[in-house]
Amino acid sequence: MNAKTNGEKPDLTPRRRFLANLMGGRKGKRISASNPTSVACVELIEKVGVHFPEAHTDARAMAELAAAGYEVLGFDTIMPEFSVQQEAAALGCEVNWGNDNMMPETMTHPVKSPGDVVIPDNLLEKPSIKVVLDAISLLRHEYGDRVAILGKVMGPWTICYHTVGVEDFLILVRLDPDQVRAYLEAYMPVTIAIANAQLRAGADAVVLPDHATGAMVSAGTYAEFLVPVHHRMLAQIGGPTILHICGKCLDRIPDIATEGYDGYHFEWQNDPKKAVEAAGGQVSLLGGISNIEALLQGTPDDVHRQARYNIEAGVDSIGPECAISLQTPLENLKAIIAAAEEGY
Amino acid sequence: MADFSLIAQALDQGDRDKTVALTEAALGSGANPQEIIAQGLQAGMAAVGEKFSSGEYFLPDMLMAARAMKAALEVLAPALEQTGIPTIGKVVIGTVEGDMHDIGKNVVATFLSGNGFEVFDLGLNVPAQKFIDEVKEKKADILGMSALLTTTMPVMGRVIKGLEEAGLRSSVKVVVGGAPVTQDYANYIGADGYAHDGGRAVPVCRELIGK
Ligand code: B12
Ligand SMILES: [Zn+2]
Repeated sequence: MNAKTNGEKPDLTPRRRFLANLMGGRKGKRISASNPTSVACVELIEKVGVHFPEAHTDARAMAELAAAGYEVLGFDTIMPEFSVQQEAAALGCEVNWGNDNMMPETMTHPVKSPGDVVIPDNLLEKPSIKVVLDAISLLRHEYGDRVAILGKVMGPWTICYHTVGVEDFLILVRLDPDQVRAYLEAYMPVTIAIANAQLRAGADAVVLPDHATGAMVSAGTYAEFLVPVHHRMLAQIGGPTILHICGKCLDRIPDIATEGYDGYHFEWQNDPKKAVEAAGGQVSLLGGISNIEALLQGTPDDVHRQARYNIEAGVDSIGPECAISLQTPLENLKAIIAAAEEGY
Repeated sequence: MADFSLIAQALDQGDRDKTVALTEAALGSGANPQEIIAQGLQAGMAAVGEKFSSGEYFLPDMLMAARAMKAALEVLAPALEQTGIPTIGKVVIGTVEGDMHDIGKNVVATFLSGNGFEVFDLGLNVPAQKFIDEVKEKKADILGMSALLTTTMPVMGRVIKGLEEAGLRSSVKVVVGGAPVTQDYANYIGADGYAHDGGRAVPVCRELIGK
């Protein structure tokens, strides 16, 4: 940082603040607080009176609950997709959409070989995909002049967890690596098509979860299978992108940094200082606040401490590390914004 | 005299065909199937568990070893018809209701069965009553529960209460796990054991039943 700036730093709008942070641009008075993944929780649901499963399946309900992240909590972003199953539902998996106390889940894994992969011609018209596109349009209309709107679509690796089943897919890493590549190749167009549709609908940036996390596969596997696919995928997505991989990932951040994402959304268990070092300024870091230790089980002071630690470490935008636990207290979420408002 | 350590090694490497071939050869040369399991297959699985715990192995490696073990046990099945596969204890295991994370639970089930436990896997999203019924029916020595969501963690405590009410609590040891679960939480809900990962679940369960 420059030792001296003349006078006051500009106070950016939430949207500009977030986009500047995401794209590695100028810093205003304070860091942005963002939620690349869901901040829906029971208290928030009760406050706005919009419930699950409607908020997964009805565009207006989805937009309204998502907007509460800005209206009630004060985040600089609005991200309307709460589940990780929208693509799975569009690709033939049976999905149980849950309720206020239970997040949705994929019940069946119908794909047995890469040859089984069928991408419907009307992918963008499938209800679970269209609902998000419509919610993004509604939000763009209402908040586009102030707040950053985020889209979200699963990457090909996570899509395989759902359609093939986690274990049947992961064993192929050793059993038949060519099949892994064939699957990723087959699903990559799904991610590209939905990401671009969300950008057209009005998203400022798109979050791409692709859970090749340290508890499941090695950094070597990440480099071998994910990196080349992400490279090609990103070349075809026409707007800012944020990778989300929760869990232990410090060992693969150097690879992530070279993939071409604008942001990487990471967990607190990857020490933020080390994460910043590993990213080497090549990708912005988002998130960094522990969902369980701080947001769920901690006090506002605990959240504040982690938030300030992230800011001091040089993380670019702070927020929960992943979709928050449904019983997270609102006062803990508000502590994130309070810490951001103190400035750099 | 068959070399059981080669079987262990083949399993550790996840080489199914080699594990099967060596198991067949050992059996053909008159080796005791129980010894093949204990000194070959289970020894191999124990090594895999240690490497998984230490971060040297990942899920694909564990899945390959489990696949090799399953195939080798099929080879031994006819020879074991009289005696059955030797077991050191019965475990009923599942992911609690409302929770669809089953990878960790499957890892634990694999390591336990690979190390001589007879495992009844109830799958995921298992209702509390189902755990209780199965513990009773299977006369389980150990009940294992997995929860990855903070919303579903309290369900484990409720199952323990249910076991008490059903008069089953003293006859079964309860072990719990899953990313957000801690030793403190396990103590708090009155569980008997906790393990941070699948490799460590084996010694914890062995200790609980004194094997
Ligand atoms: C992969 C994953 C998924 C997959 C699950 C696929 C599957 N079939 O299991 C998918 C993508 C579907 C998914 C969905 C969701 N997920 Co998820 N997921 C993960 C992730 C990245 C890894 C979990 C995993 O499998 N690890 C690998 C295994 C091997 O490790 P493990 O599970 O910890 O198990 C080991 C130990 O814990 C222990 N163990 C486990 N069970 C047991 C049992 C016993 C008896 C013993 C002794 C030991 C033991 O041994 C195991 C082997 O070593 C974690 C991140 C993290 N930090 O853990 C989030 C995480 C668990 N998910 C989370 C969330 C929020 C969700 C969703 C709600 C997201 C959403 N918006 O919909 C949904 C929930 C769906 C539902 N209703 O359950 C949160 C949970 C927060 C919380 N605690 O409340 C986490 C922690 C991420 C985070 N930091 O916030 N997820
Ligand atoms: Zn996540």
